[in-house]
Amino acid sequence: MEKTESWQPKIVAFLCNWCSYAGADLAGVSRLQYGPNVRIIRVPCSARINPQFIIKALQNGADGVLVSGCHPGDCHYISGNLVARRKFALTKKFMEYFGIEPERVQFSWVSASEGGRFAALMNRVIDDVKKVGPATKLVKEL
Amino acid sequence: MKAVETEVRNKAKELLEKGEVDLFIGYGKATIPLKSRPIFIAKDSAEEGPDDLVWDSFCSNNLAAYLQKYFENQPNRRKKRETPYPKIGMMAKGCDMRSVVALVKENQVIRENMVILGLPCTGMIDRRKVLEALEGQEVTEYRETEKGLEVTTRDGKSHSFDREEYLQPACKECRFPVPEGTDFMMPGDGRKPGDGGYARIKEFEQKSSDEKWEYFKTEMSKCIRCNACRQACPTCWCKECFADHTDLKWIGVGTDLSDTMIFQIIRIFHQAGRCVECDACYNACPMGIDLRTYTKKIVKDTQELFDFIPDFNTESTPPLSTFSEQDTDGFITDPEEH
Amino acid sequence: MKQALLDKKDIGKLLKSAAVDSPVYAPVMGNSEIEFTRIADGSEAVSLEYSNLKLSPKGIFFPQTETLLTFDFDAVEDVPEPESGIVVFGSRPCDALSLLYLDKVFGPENKGYDDPYYMKRREDSVMISLACSEPCRTCFCTSVGGGPADRKGSDILMFDLDEGIFFRAETGKGEAFLEKYSSLFGEPGADTEKKADEQGNEAALSMETLPVDKEALKKHLDDGFEDPVWEKLTQNCIGCGACTYLCPTCYCFDISDEQRMYKGKRIRTWDACQFPQFTKHASGHNPRNTKLERLRQRFMHKFSYLPENMGEIYCVGCGRCVTNCPVNIDIREVIETFAKK
Repeated sequence: MEKTESWQPKIVAFLCNWCSYAGADLAGVSRLQYGPNVRIIRVPCSARINPQFIIKALQNGADGVLVSGCHPGDCHYISGNLVARRKFALTKKFMEYFGIEPERVQFSWVSASEGGRFAALMNRVIDDVKKVGPATKLVKEL
Repeated sequence: MKAVETEVRNKAKELLEKGEVDLFIGYGKATIPLKSRPIFIAKDSAEEGPDDLVWDSFCSNNLAAYLQKYFENQPNRRKKRETPYPKIGMMAKGCDMRSVVALVKENQVIRENMVILGLPCTGMIDRRKVLEALEGQEVTEYRETEKGLEVTTRDGKSHSFDREEYLQPACKECRFPVPEGTDFMMPGDGRKPGDGGYARIKEFEQKSSDEKWEYFKTEMSKCIRCNACRQACPTCWCKECFADHTDLKWIGVGTDLSDTMIFQIIRIFHQAGRCVECDACYNACPMGIDLRTYTKKIVKDTQELFDFIPDFNTESTPPLSTFSEQDTDGFITDPEEH
Repeated sequence: MKQALLDKKDIGKLLKSAAVDSPVYAPVMGNSEIEFTRIADGSEAVSLEYSNLKLSPKGIFFPQTETLLTFDFDAVEDVPEPESGIVVFGSRPCDALSLLYLDKVFGPENKGYDDPYYMKRREDSVMISLACSEPCRTCFCTSVGGGPADRKGSDILMFDLDEGIFFRAETGKGEAFLEKYSSLFGEPGADTEKKADEQGNEAALSMETLPVDKEALKKHLDDGFEDPVWEKLTQNCIGCGACTYLCPTCYCFDISDEQRMYKGKRIRTWDACQFPQFTKHASGHNPRNTKLERLRQRFMHKFSYLPENMGEIYCVGCGRCVTNCPVNIDIREVIETFAKK
């Protein structure tokens, strides 16, 4: 995919059901605006996220991937996001080391009441990915 | 090293004769120069015996890679075993021992069923580097000396190699040359521990994303998906590797560059907290891909983020199966921050 | 024209001229190894300084990953026909022989199951092989029906001599090639062919030949299927596929579909009988569940089953498996063990 005037990034967002997804829902209900570039995938907990999901999304053509969970200490399953935090920290550094632009793989904590924060986060991620252009590195052409 | 070799042979003989081990895994002489091969000695083995064991600077294979299959169907499977688990004896350098410890922690090996001969390691010579220096001339004879290696090539010429200069890079950087927690320690001094080799990783981290990618792409374009790296690695023991899933594939089976790159990214990522930097993967690779830049990175990150390095401690918890309240949130994107 | 002499510095010129008319593959230094590379304009750094290339030329005719067809929601499309008339420059006689063996498997001889993708590439191909002057100690071509200056499979056999590279056509195709580019060649001297033959003979004599009798070896292997010596021979195998993928005569492949949403392609990729899931059934049962069975299968296939089905030992003695096996499994040991029984 080439960067043209009309190119819009495709962001895949993995959101944990109890906090981040609810936060996204709140943003929607509150009519807070953010770019239409995001495809949301709901998971029970951020701990469900296997780093292979992130890479598979990039391979299938996603320009950016966001993973968001509950704030540490607030996990619906007590410690899911705490275990996931270690995985995510490693994943972010590792992906960057291979040469994937750090803007493409991002992580965040968004709670169920933070509709505004979710919208701001989405806009931030969309802007970041727009700056680095369409993803080409891991994309598999079929 | 010859004295240690004799000691190893005697000990192995003793263990086999007394029935303390059913099988002894060690290093033997290979059929091609500058290499050793893993050998398996049973008590009544007619073919090979303890006198075939060698200990020199070419014993670079990680023998812990063979252990998992002897200890299958562990108790949590609740399947009644007809035969008891075998008792396995093994020669172990520092890296081999750490791999055994990693496997013990993951319940893949029963430590009580193992008798480990610890070998203080002075490092292994880099076969690839020596062959490169000989520029394609075939080695007809080789001999280890105090200072290093003496090689005779086919054209009759003799070549000397300084040991320090031609040591495997992993050995130069090794922080655990002397194994701990073994059952019998062989005599001798190991190398002085190295510094871990993080400097070159720090240097690589400074490159731009595109430069890093170009390097990775160049290396991965050599890959033929033979899986030697994965099979040689002692901590790659999954019965079904993620790369082999066919019902819903993570990656394809061919040499498509995207698939090959993802295979390595994930394979090395799965070694977080388990990789002992033995370079078995790098040595096994027939195409000479630079995997070391990436294996070292996961070791460095795991240590820097979670203060964990796979050493000889069998009680430590694997870093990714636990957490701390103090873990960093530095990787989080905070939309309010700019 | 049956014989010619080429000045070593003119290799680039020859390849450049040939590349205008046909697809030409020659040994060029790649990222870390010399490999068969498509010649574009003759400026590539072609090197003949190798005992043998890491990867055999089978990948030129039988690519590791090959698309067979593409599909989307409405239609299935065939891929364009592969090119033919490929010129391979610088293969060794063992590799040229291996292609004859692959022809038997992929060609019409194999009970009518000829493979159009492979056969099209093999059509009108010209193998210009370089005879070995100094065979490696890990080579054993003379033990399995080949030789360092063997002509089987080659259209032209080259000899690297002091006075230049001596080209000797072994087939009509070879003669036609020499004729076509005759302007680039010179006349060989009166005794050039004699020197070439001497080089070949010396090379063959310098090799240690294993006691391989095709029928006897097959019989011993068949009789020794359950022999406990297999335990010893296969114990240190780690189950990778390095031997299989580097082997010039291994040809097993897998066909899989790769798709995303409504678009996809069907690809053929190399497969290795050393991989555990090679024989795994859909039920989950695996007839070759242990490493011993899989490694034994490799040797049985090469030295018993294929000789029975195709009439040849499917090993050309190139020694790649010996030099590249991470744990030093040595096919020569297997041969010697069973040849003795």
